[in-house]
Amino acid sequence: MVTKVISADHAVAWGARLCRPEVIPAFPITPQTLIMELLSEFINDGEFDADFIPAESEHSVMSIAVGASAGGVRTFTATSSQGLALMHEMLYAAPQIRLPIIMVNVNRSLGAASGIWLEHNDSMPERESGWIQVYVEDNQEALDMVLQGYRIAEDERVRMPIMICLDGFVLSHTVERVEVPDQSEVDRFLPKFMPINALDPSDPRMINPLVPPEYAMEMRYQLDRAMDSSRKVISEVDEAFALSFGRRYGGLFDMYEMEDAEFALLSLGTATTTARGVVDELRSQGKKAGLIKMRFMRPFPEKELLQAVKNLKALGVFDRSVGFNSFGPVFTEVRGALSPLRLPLTDHIAGLGGRDLTLEEMRSIFARIEESASGKIERDVYWHGLRGEQK
Amino acid sequence: MYEVRFHGRGGQGAVMAAQTLAEAAVLEGYHAQAFPYFGAERRGAPVKAFARIDKSRITLKSQIYNPDMLVLLDETLPEIEPVAEGLKPEGVAVVNTAMAPEEYDLGISVVTTTVDATTIAFEKLKAPIVNTAILGAMAKAQDFVSLDSIVKAIQDKFGERLGPRAANLNSDAARVAYQSARTGRCKAVRPILQKPQWLPDWDQMPIGVTLPITQVEGVVIGPGSAWQNLVGTWRTSSPNYDINKCIRCLRCWWSCPEGTIKRQEDDHMKFDYRYCKGCGICAQICPVSAIDMVWGVKSW
Repeated sequence: MVTKVISADHAVAWGARLCRPEVIPAFPITPQTLIMELLSEFINDGEFDADFIPAESEHSVMSIAVGASAGGVRTFTATSSQGLALMHEMLYAAPQIRLPIIMVNVNRSLGAASGIWLEHNDSMPERESGWIQVYVEDNQEALDMVLQGYRIAEDERVRMPIMICLDGFVLSHTVERVEVPDQSEVDRFLPKFMPINALDPSDPRMINPLVPPEYAMEMRYQLDRAMDSSRKVISEVDEAFALSFGRRYGGLFDMYEMEDAEFALLSLGTATTTARGVVDELRSQGKKAGLIKMRFMRPFPEKELLQAVKNLKALGVFDRSVGFNSFGPVFTEVRGALSPLRLPLTDHIAGLGGRDLTLEEMRSIFARIEESASGKIERDVYWHGLRGEQK
Repeated sequence: MYEVRFHGRGGQGAVMAAQTLAEAAVLEGYHAQAFPYFGAERRGAPVKAFARIDKSRITLKSQIYNPDMLVLLDETLPEIEPVAEGLKPEGVAVVNTAMAPEEYDLGISVVTTTVDATTIAFEKLKAPIVNTAILGAMAKAQDFVSLDSIVKAIQDKFGERLGPRAANLNSDAARVAYQSARTGRCKAVRPILQKPQWLPDWDQMPIGVTLPITQVEGVVIGPGSAWQNLVGTWRTSSPNYDINKCIRCLRCWWSCPEGTIKRQEDDHMKFDYRYCKGCGICAQICPVSAIDMVWGVKSW
């Protein structure tokens, strides 16, 4: 193990290198580019061997990833924002063909208005693409999830691709202390990839043929069941990871100060870090604040969430993307899961398009949730940091 | 509600026939819908189309499993598809055949109207597009959509797409068919074809839309399984090869899109009629007219 002070992008590149992917298709896009730059440096310097394929677009990147993975080799790629949108068509192939590709999406707002900065409106719309989707909080988790990701994705009960989402700039370009495991440790944790359906000219297979209506529903349900199986595998892999590396992330979501909490925020990504600080602050004032760190948006932990919030008097949900004249995507999902409860729920939208999410804003989010616990709810959706009066 | 199921082959106009029937029914003051089911959209491939007619608004959007009327645009379809399946015992059939109703074997004995729509279509339209002739026979096989309305609907639908001349010729085809159609009760000697079909539960399907060569319940699936599809029945005309005219230029051999022309040792050809779809490219490309397209599913 080596301790480095590196960005999340570089942490991800180290994570990928340690997993020994054999094919890495790539197309540059800010703020993802640092990942592919470092990986290509590793390859160029002879420190690590993989077919690094610069493609002509992200659509081609995902096509190559699908082809390589179907060919039976471990495959890694990364993208952002418009790149993910351009992949959209090919994204749907990977889960249904059951290809355990790992892709890092560095969250960046999808235009218009054009921007290179953080928003979750690129990855949130891909929740129904069939990819397992996880959001990470810090650079260490970014690296560790690449390692955990392959072990989850390649498990025979799962066989699905995973999209690891990390916040653009706030993580991707922020350096933090990161423990980079030794290759031998990773090799012990992550078994060699054993494909089930690798393309082989001597044993021909049809991949992704025209599927008539007589088979389409069964095919979809198969994937639905695989997504369900992944819940158990995600927890198991987190435990196995803790045994090997001493770090655990809580599986589908993690909890902070939730044992006796009366009001809490459910957040994801880097907002969680600032929220931890505010929870500590409120606790020091004798207020029973808590925090749920949402990790996986797919599979979505309905039952577990229901259990986790059952003693709360109010829950707020953080969204870094918008449902126009509706609710943010995280709120929509959480409200659906918690519909059996009569729990005051509020949606808190902040930090769009890279707008800095400040300590003050996080305090105001918790203040609104605390208010709602005592029955004061002005509205369902609060925009924090908005200039002008919210109608 | 009155439900009609059309079975035909790609290119015969089953979809247009269903749409025209629906339009004629609307002209009569009914509510109607018509829709196709697309599988392999190929000329000659078996196709299905559906029409529903009712006095009030139709509150159903699904395929038709128990039709009141069965329409066969090709008389050979019962040999390759279970077309008569689900037809109501009191329902009627309309069949494109030169046979009298009593001679035709549908596999279920129902009141049947037969018409030689192919001959009428060749006479009127110079092409085997039998949909408008069959519509004329359909006017005779029920009593709530009149021939007048069907002709009006043909004028409208075909006129709009193909111009007034084609509309008139198609209307003539319908009128002639109405006159010459015969009604009686068909035979039920042959059993309705049973096709083995592999319908696994979700957990019995191969993982991930990926199929190795597999044999399940007598059906081969996966790569290389297309040999089971004897698509030779799709053709409406067949290439007749005259070995004496052939100059062994090989053009037909490399032009056949299905690979059904087999080059022999002496560079003459043999045709594999099990898979020939009758596209006629070989006859077109032959510089010495050694290949002649002959009407019907034939082999030599």
